[in-house]
Amino acid sequence: MIPFTSLAEACSAISSFIRCCADEPSTEGFDELALGLFAFQFVHNTPYANFCRTENHTPETVADWRDIPAVSTRVLKSLDLTVLPVADRETVFRSSGTTQTNRSRHFHSRDSLAVYHTSLWTWFAEHLLDESANRLLFLCPELAQAPKSSLVHMMDAVAKRLANRERCFGADGQWRIDGEAAVDFLHDCATQNEPVTILGTAFSFVHLLDHLDTAALEFQLPSGSAAMETGGYKGRSREMPKAELHQAITTKLGVASERIICEYGMCELSSQAYDGKLGQANAAPRLFRFPPWARARVVSPETLADAELGQAGLLQVVDLANVSSVFSLQTEDLAKRHADGFELLGRAELAESRGCSLMNLTHA
Amino acid sequence: MPEPSLDYFLADKPGAELTHPLIAEACQTLRRNRNEYLATLGNEQIISKLAEVGNLWRSPDYPLRQMALDADPEETGFPREVLAAGLDACFAEWTQEKFFMLLTQEFGDPTRLQSFASQPNRTFSMVNGPQLIAHIAPGNLPVPVFQSIAFGLLLRSAQFIKCASGKSLLPRLFGHSLHFVEPGMAASLEIAEWDGGNESLEPALFAEADCVTVNGSDNTVEAIRQRLPLGKRLVGYGHRVSFGYVEKQANEVMGTQAIISRAADDVVAWNQHGCLSPHVIYVEQFGSLKPERFAEMLAEELEVRNEAMPRGPISTKEAASISTTRRFYKIRSANNVGALIWESEETTDWTVVYEDEKQFQTSPLNRFIFVKPIEHIEEALHVLEPVRESVSTVGLAASEARMRELALPLAQWGVPRICALSQMQRPPLAWRHDGRPPLGELIRWTDLETA
Repeated sequence: MIPFTSLAEACSAISSFIRCCADEPSTEGFDELALGLFAFQFVHNTPYANFCRTENHTPETVADWRDIPAVSTRVLKSLDLTVLPVADRETVFRSSGTTQTNRSRHFHSRDSLAVYHTSLWTWFAEHLLDESANRLLFLCPELAQAPKSSLVHMMDAVAKRLANRERCFGADGQWRIDGEAAVDFLHDCATQNEPVTILGTAFSFVHLLDHLDTAALEFQLPSGSAAMETGGYKGRSREMPKAELHQAITTKLGVASERIICEYGMCELSSQAYDGKLGQANAAPRLFRFPPWARARVVSPETLADAELGQAGLLQVVDLANVSSVFSLQTEDLAKRHADGFELLGRAELAESRGCSLMNLTHA
Repeated sequence: MPEPSLDYFLADKPGAELTHPLIAEACQTLRRNRNEYLATLGNEQIISKLAEVGNLWRSPDYPLRQMALDADPEETGFPREVLAAGLDACFAEWTQEKFFMLLTQEFGDPTRLQSFASQPNRTFSMVNGPQLIAHIAPGNLPVPVFQSIAFGLLLRSAQFIKCASGKSLLPRLFGHSLHFVEPGMAASLEIAEWDGGNESLEPALFAEADCVTVNGSDNTVEAIRQRLPLGKRLVGYGHRVSFGYVEKQANEVMGTQAIISRAADDVVAWNQHGCLSPHVIYVEQFGSLKPERFAEMLAEELEVRNEAMPRGPISTKEAASISTTRRFYKIRSANNVGALIWESEETTDWTVVYEDEKQFQTSPLNRFIFVKPIEHIEEALHVLEPVRESVSTVGLAASEARMRELALPLAQWGVPRICALSQMQRPPLAWRHDGRPPLGELIRWTDLETA
């Protein structure tokens, strides 16, 4: 175990680990960092520590990262779990949701935000960058218009890293697609023969495709163009089966199917999983993979033990980049376990949850 | 007795290809058979056969019952013990006396089904059931299907029962018992299965039927309403929720353990599936039985019950729902913020959550029960306002005198059924589902004014 005496120290160690992994993919060192981070979060997050004690899994007893108690992401909708004192909470990410009571909050300090940036960029670059220097069409608002969206934050970070590329943010603060701006940008890409990567949520792609339909437009974007689609409709558009959506992206935009990559991420996590790499054949079923600094487990909902290969269960993620919040999380997503990744099956159907005003815990 | 061969209904032939003309033809045959035979029977003949079927289903060595109990729980939805208890509770009600009481309750005079009978105002009236009823059967519980079939027969209606794919076993077994007891009656019955919303088969069925009954989610009921041709009668039962209520002196009258045991009966029955099972049990504060203690004792009782009547395996989705909800409450429990949790170890077999927060909370079911404190019935009705429209049943633990006192505000507020705790999933044969007359909505009255 690596003991951390401060958040800065933990952030620095984990950032180094991420950079090492980027240079040479290896998972050596994960276990020690995980146990160290567990001890750190246990000390600095009293509600989490209380939970761990009732589970009989504390830094004294846990020797395997799999035994680090996982918090349900649902809990974060009504309870702030963070090691950050109020004064250090510089940035907050909120999940989408209709009311204040069913939206998660994920706080970051300057240090933890830097880890988030390192994490997201490293794994994004690994999957969505190749030799062609694509233009970028983001189907989301600019950061100033949606500062609490972790996805917008991620897109902004990507845009800044690729500052020399032409780009367009094609949605307003309400996530409405600016069809004209997007079409102009795509038209320009097509006529200039400049490949473009389009990034957005499934519902934004549906909005864009609907706009193209209405305008009776189709594009044959230059080869080398790509799409990154991230799950979820959240009731913002009609829902399309994934295969159908991808088919439409190929036929209406001309993006080759092997250059459509899905991302799995959420506001409660600081790392993302992708289901393929540009330029590599992605065999079906397409499996999501987290980076070496985040590990996914599919657990039996009955026993919470690892599901057998090929079995479905709840997805848990241990994400070292979640330095300041809780890094062992149980999602509400069902997944099927494979030897080399996981297949997303959709949400567990939960009984209607209502926000609970009694959950405002204060903590050290 | 050798295992009976089951080859009579469409659903008995798994490979059979269902088509629009086939469904239409089946409906026409049912109607013809009904006119030739079922319509000519008297109440006594029908009721005696129904009681006979009910009796058979209650006898442990009845082969069709055994087939039901031996079936894969995935096909029936329930492990053996849970199913056996549910079948016993259902068929205990199927006596000749109770069937006649049902007819009397609905029509005043049971002979009205066969001829005109006088009314207090000196006119005469009789009732006629639909010639052909289409039932869209619910996927969770078999009891409503058995009852629907019995009610249809009482009304001399031919019936087409549409089950969800893979969900027809219990209705079929029931149909076969009827076929063995009285083939003539069963000739007016068809059972088939397909996935709901079928654009080819359902229009055929809806066009032929005089009346359609639906048990299902609100969305299912609404979808069928929209697709039903104008003038067809729809009897739809959508989603409802139920809760238990323990009055603060009940334990002094009934004994604490008796109340706990009754609460467990309702949580265990049909593994809480169906609209009549409780999501929450409210326990009045300030009595000698504290709500937290009630929850703790209920947890102990559910563990005991799980030995005698295991909940059995459930789907990954259902288990995931329990697991996620448990995790949500565990962290609150660990931090003493108004919640305590008790749970079966290493499985999702049972869960009790005590929660200060009084609002109604939907349970993930499969033996997951919320226990909440409440000051008095007025407060309960206040916090339950958001679900007022969808409450089905309230199971009460109280002395008989207090039960009557509590029933009045509940009834005035809009609760259609109030029963003793432990009886929530055991409604009497003649109960008024969602407060509606069980036969009255299916029939047509004819008045004869002779004056």
